[in-house]
Amino acid sequence: MKPTRPSEPWWLLAPMLGALAVFFVYPLLSALRTSFYEWDLLTAPRFIGLGNYRAIFSSGELFASLGTTLLVSVVVVAGSLVLGLGLALAVNRPGRLAALARSAVFSAYVVSWVSVGLLFLWIFDADAGVVNQLLSAAGIGKVKWLTSTRMAPLTVALIVLWKVTGYAMVVFLSGLSGLPPEMQEAAALDGAGPFARLRHVTLPLLRPTAAFVATTSLIASFQLFDVVRLLTQGGPVRSTTVLVYAIYEQLFRDLRVGRASSLVVVFFLVLSALTWLKLRAFRSQEPV
Amino acid sequence: MQRRAFLLSGAVLSGGVAGCAPSDAPPGRVVVPFWFTYGGRNRATLQTLVTRFNQAQREIWVRAVFQGDYFEGLAKLRTALAAGAAPPLSHVVGEVVPYLAEAGVLEPLDDYPGARSLPLHPALGQAGSFRGGAERSLVAVPFNRSTPIAYVNQRLFAEQSATPDTWQTLSEVARALTKPGRFGFGCPIDWWYWAALVGQAGGEVVEPNGRISLGDEAGVRALSLWQSLVAAGVMKQPPGRDYNAWEQLSQDFLAGRVAMIWSSTAFVRYLEETADFPVRALPLPRGVRGAVPTGGTHFVLLKSAPSELKSAAWRFVRFLLEPESAAFWSSETGYLPVTTEAAQLLQSRGFYARHPNYRVALDQLAVAQPWPWSKTLFRIQREVVQPGLEAAVLEKRDPSRAMAEARRLAQESLH
Repeated sequence: MKPTRPSEPWWLLAPMLGALAVFFVYPLLSALRTSFYEWDLLTAPRFIGLGNYRAIFSSGELFASLGTTLLVSVVVVAGSLVLGLGLALAVNRPGRLAALARSAVFSAYVVSWVSVGLLFLWIFDADAGVVNQLLSAAGIGKVKWLTSTRMAPLTVALIVLWKVTGYAMVVFLSGLSGLPPEMQEAAALDGAGPFARLRHVTLPLLRPTAAFVATTSLIASFQLFDVVRLLTQGGPVRSTTVLVYAIYEQLFRDLRVGRASSLVVVFFLVLSALTWLKLRAFRSQEPV
Repeated sequence: MQRRAFLLSGAVLSGGVAGCAPSDAPPGRVVVPFWFTYGGRNRATLQTLVTRFNQAQREIWVRAVFQGDYFEGLAKLRTALAAGAAPPLSHVVGEVVPYLAEAGVLEPLDDYPGARSLPLHPALGQAGSFRGGAERSLVAVPFNRSTPIAYVNQRLFAEQSATPDTWQTLSEVARALTKPGRFGFGCPIDWWYWAALVGQAGGEVVEPNGRISLGDEAGVRALSLWQSLVAAGVMKQPPGRDYNAWEQLSQDFLAGRVAMIWSSTAFVRYLEETADFPVRALPLPRGVRGAVPTGGTHFVLLKSAPSELKSAAWRFVRFLLEPESAAFWSSETGYLPVTTEAAQLLQSRGFYARHPNYRVALDQLAVAQPWPWSKTLFRIQREVVQPGLEAAVLEKRDPSRAMAEARRLAQESLH
């Protein structure tokens, strides 16, 4: 359909552009401006140039929270790809048991983050938690799931992984159902065994699906907040202070609006870079 | 028709959730929005008092709105102040009173009727809560005030003879009460309890001349005590931060996994009612001296509100400080009776004879230490001391070096 007037597409886009401008562009620009000020919301803002950026770099806060976020992302993205695909292959068959397994695994994805947080607070409690009681009954001894600086970020990552794997599985299942059966049959006739078929036929065809799963898992791990708020409040010793939580702490706990804004700006740049990399990866796949 | 009914039911529901019994004030009343941050039982007790006030007179209608925990409430209050939409009345933790006062957002109360002659307990009003608090104009009126106290599981405690009234006996009792699957002692690695230990070791968090010493040697000794108890395996440090850690510890105490805890007197009622064993409250031990900080919140009027609303809000504050109201609040929750009249009322009715646990914090006020009037204190608390203590205990850092580092960061955070 060809527009009758050149302005027409703009009118059709206007509501969305308006919403984006008000709820996305304006807040972002306002955060950018605030990031050059020292401001506690109460007294007059004071221009300090790049002072906030210097502070988040030199205090190590930025790299620490970015590092924690990336650690969680790596575990969640890699884990959801492997587990999601494995589960999808395992339950991609008819029958009641497989159907039950599918819904059981997916159900975790539907549960609210707050419920997940409370649930795992109970499961991973150092003394009274189910996991540690089982471990000590088995003679292995207790693990400091949430109370050691080394273990806590991994525990948080495992919880996110537990939640998003069901979604990854469903996406992989739909990817699997979209594959043309002829190719499998042709490969089988040529003498390819199940593993060769998986490696040389199924996996290459699932690449776009895997890219989608990786992106959604990455977003989920970068947005991580609720579980940290409920389980660890960023501790012990800031070991689970992911970027979003660091922003929250600066703003609502320490009343530093400017410093929180500078973290927001950096966060935005990191996400933009990741999105750009992802788009490039997709584009390079297109001709295949 | 159906849709309208649905919308209406929604409106009624949200009115109920907002926490004001009838959602609409009777016509002709001055409506005073009041933002509060009490949860659970305290919230219900406050609402009883609000209802009593609203029924006791015909000019004012207090509308109490729940705003989450202390820190969430403070964040909302600050945002509302920036947006020019702050309520006339709220309450804030003591540590941020100087900060808000210096920012110029609190209403000076000196000229409000009766403000100069409130019969407050000397340790709990602005004059006694802050060093030099009497020389400044009055901006804060105490209501839910507390001190840390010790709670022991009397069933376990009865077996042994010592009383944890010094640091030495505290360690001995903690050791004696520790059994497989049970810690003898539990304490959140938290600024408030550390401040108590600093005072007991003879130090001040901020020196009278304004220098942030974090207790110097006393601060180190306070940290070392925790470290040694944790290293000996006789003290549980609950996971989580702020009130999450306190709540975790309450749960451990109630489940019998910790025999003795330090917590706020505000939990007397809750712990007594929930435990399936007798709970006994004890004062904190002495170091080289007895010392406890005070905690809880102060009521403040916000300068930005119209004067008519501020005057109406003040009448509600005075109602809360009447002996009956303050005594009711104290006996229902465990917070201190903030006026001497309320304390006398509870005494004369035999309340303390029947409930000796409520008396512990009140007697302990004799050694209550004032906070410095410092607008950066809350930042030092949250950004420097709290994470520093946590790191030092968890990662077994050298206490002298950890405190020296905290002092350095505290100096930097002044800017």
